[in-house]
Amino acid sequence: MSETKLTAQSEYNNDVVEKRKTTLWLDFWRKFRKQKTAVVSGLFIVMLLIVAIIGPYLAPYGPAEPDYGSILKGPSAAHLAGTDAYGRDIFSRIIVGSRISLLISISSVFLGAAIGSILGLISGYYGRWLDSLIMRGCDVLFSFPGMLLAIGIIAILGPGLTNVVIAIAIFTVPTFARIVRSGTLSAKGSVFVEAARSIGATNKRMIWKHIFPETVSSIIVYFTMRIGNAILVAASLGFLGLGAKPPTPEWGAMLSMGRDYISTHPHITFFPGLAIFLTVLAFNLLGDGLRDALDPKIKN
Amino acid sequence: MLFRYISKRIVELIPILLVISILVFLFVHFIPGNPARLVAGKQATFKEVQLVAEELGLNEPIWKQYVSYMKGLFQGDFGTSLKTGRPVSEVIASRFMPTFWLTISSMAWSLVVGLLIGVVSATNRNKWQDFSGMFGAVSGISMPSFWLGLLLIQLFSVQLGWLPVGGNDSWQSYILPSITLGTTVAAVIARFTRSSLMDTLKDDFVRTGRAKGLSENKVVWGHALRNAMVPIVTMSGLQFGFLLGGSIVVEVVFSWPGLGSLLIDSISFRDYPVIQAELLLFALEFMLINLVVDLLYGVLNPRINLD
Amino acid sequence: MFNRRKVFIFAASLIILLVLFSGCSNSSETKGKDSTQGTATKEGNDLTIAVDANLISMDPHDTNDTLSGSVQRTMFQGLFGFSKGMEVVPVLAKDYKISDNGLVYTFQLKKGITFHDGASFNAKAVKVNIDRLANPDNNLKRHSLFAMVKSTEVVDEYTVKVKLKKPFGAFINNLAHPAGRIISPKALEKYGKEVSRNPVGTGPYKFKEWVPGDHLTVVKYDQYWQDGYPKIDKLTFEPTPENGSRVAKLKTGEADFIFPVPPEQAKQIDGKNGIEVKAEPSIVVRYMAMNSMKEPFNNVKVRKAINYGIDKEAFIKVVKRGFGKPLDSVIAPKTSFYSQQKVYEYNLEKAKQLLKEAGYPDGFKTTLWGGNNSTSMKGMQFIQQQLAKIGVDVEIVPMETGTMSEKIWSTKPKETELEMYYGGWSPSTGDADWGIRPLLGGKEAFPPKSYNTAYYSNDKVTKLINDALLTAKPDEREKLYAEIQKLIWNDAPWAFLTVDYTISGKKNYLEGVYLLPDGSLSTHDAKIVK
Repeated sequence: MSETKLTAQSEYNNDVVEKRKTTLWLDFWRKFRKQKTAVVSGLFIVMLLIVAIIGPYLAPYGPAEPDYGSILKGPSAAHLAGTDAYGRDIFSRIIVGSRISLLISISSVFLGAAIGSILGLISGYYGRWLDSLIMRGCDVLFSFPGMLLAIGIIAILGPGLTNVVIAIAIFTVPTFARIVRSGTLSAKGSVFVEAARSIGATNKRMIWKHIFPETVSSIIVYFTMRIGNAILVAASLGFLGLGAKPPTPEWGAMLSMGRDYISTHPHITFFPGLAIFLTVLAFNLLGDGLRDALDPKIKN
Repeated sequence: MLFRYISKRIVELIPILLVISILVFLFVHFIPGNPARLVAGKQATFKEVQLVAEELGLNEPIWKQYVSYMKGLFQGDFGTSLKTGRPVSEVIASRFMPTFWLTISSMAWSLVVGLLIGVVSATNRNKWQDFSGMFGAVSGISMPSFWLGLLLIQLFSVQLGWLPVGGNDSWQSYILPSITLGTTVAAVIARFTRSSLMDTLKDDFVRTGRAKGLSENKVVWGHALRNAMVPIVTMSGLQFGFLLGGSIVVEVVFSWPGLGSLLIDSISFRDYPVIQAELLLFALEFMLINLVVDLLYGVLNPRINLD
Repeated sequence: MFNRRKVFIFAASLIILLVLFSGCSNSSETKGKDSTQGTATKEGNDLTIAVDANLISMDPHDTNDTLSGSVQRTMFQGLFGFSKGMEVVPVLAKDYKISDNGLVYTFQLKKGITFHDGASFNAKAVKVNIDRLANPDNNLKRHSLFAMVKSTEVVDEYTVKVKLKKPFGAFINNLAHPAGRIISPKALEKYGKEVSRNPVGTGPYKFKEWVPGDHLTVVKYDQYWQDGYPKIDKLTFEPTPENGSRVAKLKTGEADFIFPVPPEQAKQIDGKNGIEVKAEPSIVVRYMAMNSMKEPFNNVKVRKAINYGIDKEAFIKVVKRGFGKPLDSVIAPKTSFYSQQKVYEYNLEKAKQLLKEAGYPDGFKTTLWGGNNSTSMKGMQFIQQQLAKIGVDVEIVPMETGTMSEKIWSTKPKETELEMYYGGWSPSTGDADWGIRPLLGGKEAFPPKSYNTAYYSNDKVTKLINDALLTAKPDEREKLYAEIQKLIWNDAPWAFLTVDYTISGKKNYLEGVYLLPDGSLSTHDAKIVK
């Protein structure tokens, strides 16, 4: 008898979860649609992703194709954004580079968010010494500026795209660990999760089925916002000579390699700079919009 | 009571700092590089490099180096800079003040501007004030700071001739670097203030205040903002800590003689003692700021119990 | 409701405005040099010089960077020095004699010279300094330049004798080297190693203050021995590593003289705002070493193919913005005993043919190491583009100095991963020996011992290099170095690229400040013309 009761209860439970999910989605969409800025940013990012995927087919010139006959030319019909010190077409480099810049930022934040979230879940759910250990570790990482950690890590691993990704991922970890931990703590205390526990759900099930979904919204919000930051860090690393290897058309590398021309040929830095600015802006505005739409505390 | 709390917190810092010192030491020595070669210089002979390594104690096993480093540390001796041969404490001290004053000047304006934008945005949600405020704030965190700095130099120093390019000897020379550095901070604070204030504006006590007929200004600035301050203070503390570490990029662009430019210099020279001391200093600063932030919580919100 | 779709238009216009403002005079600036520009105005009699790196030490005997050496030159002098054209000239010495066996040097000193702290300059002061340098126990960075000294002897107040362990042909050049400068013996006794922060010499300026990372200031020394000098009251050096900021300082007048001027901006700033840019051939050689112990570079045909495959003229145009000359020997023309060789002209067909003969008809893959500053990365990218045309696929590995010290100078020759290395060298003694021996002087010069990044070892060349050191007779040395240069050129251990230019910028009221071919600065004759 007790068995049937349990099943019934958990079926009921699943049902609730499903319903909750659909209403949440609808609710989110209703709210998000009102955030015009975020919608525009979202569309811009979708466009950017498309460009990143089909970029090499769109670009009128090869991104690493030099033409010493037409170096440092300003924007014209042949070269929409002008040419750089080697006569390479800047417009093509930006288009092809969108893939690299997005890949660096998205993969590094994804890696950092994944590790950070797992640590945060463990820390918040199991508590005790695991919690203290993970949180103290985060404190240590937190006490150094992100740029500094990135420089140190690249000094150890050497320059190159993969290492830039690793470096950014590492200093992204503590942010997510903290956010997910606090989400976990509040979810753990909620009636809904306590109910699940009372019917004897396993730890694994508890974490993934009941607690993790509660933290997803804040993960998404921070994920979006950190992407912009990652692009900027990659650019700053380029400034210090620790970024992507030439001739990779990564935007930050283009900006920092072109900075000696900032007063003589401003177009060399202007276009990659604009690309960075708009992309980071779009990710940040999208993040803001998502937060407003996802945060249950802020009602319209 | 307060004194006991503070001393307890400070005592707690000691083991953490010890752990950090080991990590920092390992981290720094893990960076591939040969300081002896760098000290001896490009045109030195092999024998000279060996002599330098011997003199600097770089041939000892790493744990021995750590022990002797810690021994020195407990006697207040941070070692000698490999690059310049000067005592590390002196090197750091001379670089700390420029960074400190730059931090203060950046924080000062960005706190005021950030709070204002945040409050205006939160109280005018979805109106043009909100839009332009948030747009301005987000723009502030969307530009690589080296580019912003270089553009500001081109505009205000070269074209207009209003402000100096570098140096830290006059108040004018603080303006461009603190704009570059503070833009990010102002943006972060504005966004935090907005969201935090929007939260508290929904709370019951605000409604009560409004119902009691208090003016909207009084409700916002007097009640709601005070309650919204906790996350804002945390964020500001964090930003303050980061700035105090010295912004490498901004200090390089403006040739500012601070901790950030010292750090990048020391890293490329593998000046181990200086890097270690700087990292330890950052960690210490960060923890002390955390402590101050916690104390401020108590002031802002008596409901939070310090223990 | 407010139309928020304008968000991106706003964003774009914000940046456009900023960029347009900052570059608004660009259109007028591209018109070229305005020959009628008036003299910029200057108040006071103080000068500020912006430089590209931090200063390290003010102890000439313990300094190995050109920049610190340049600043020391304002305060210190040696027995000999270099003229504008890199010839050795006597400074504190009046005359000298070399014994027939090349082992004993006798110097006559100038009289009536005092150090800034009042000590008088005499034979004893010279002995103290040379003894300090020659003693390995002092751990001085420049000991190697004086390691051949056996003893120093005071003959009388103004005569000093230096005995060498074995003949060393370039000894006078070593004395003229910045490391050979004479420090006040009184200061050496008083400060010991700390003399690096309390410099006292016989130069035209005396030390005032040094705030590391910010500035170093020297002021006029009233008792300077050369009448009428110095003509400036105060000189301040400001490290300004970022190129754009350094140029901006010259434009705004915060600095009166800057070096180096990035080649990208040299033409644009010349002739405006009262600025004059000066570019002169230096003794800095720009090269790409190829590891001749490793395949495929152990084959001389491959090394020659790479030399033929690089367009030196295009390199100068694109990378150096016109400020350079093709390198036509192992050393630059202004280095002593230079002998011109025939440049490997740009010839893709020949390059491909040579690769084919060497057994690489389809080219190969390789890596190129070099510094991570934007200047080196620019050069490396150019080489990458050039070699792609002959099928050589180059991966660029930019390294910061610290990493390089590990990867190249902490690794045994047999274990090194180095394939190609993009580098530059300035022989600071101005002598052929220091331009060749550390870089190509056989096994003794392999990293980590020295700077032979080509791992080039030709026994005949090594022997000739050693022979050339054992004689002090100029005509003999000339003949030997001509032979050495010819042999190395034919072995092509490097891709020979350019002789770099020194590029400096100054306000046009300033005269008498110039860069020497070794990239160091002379301020002795500085004056402001009103």
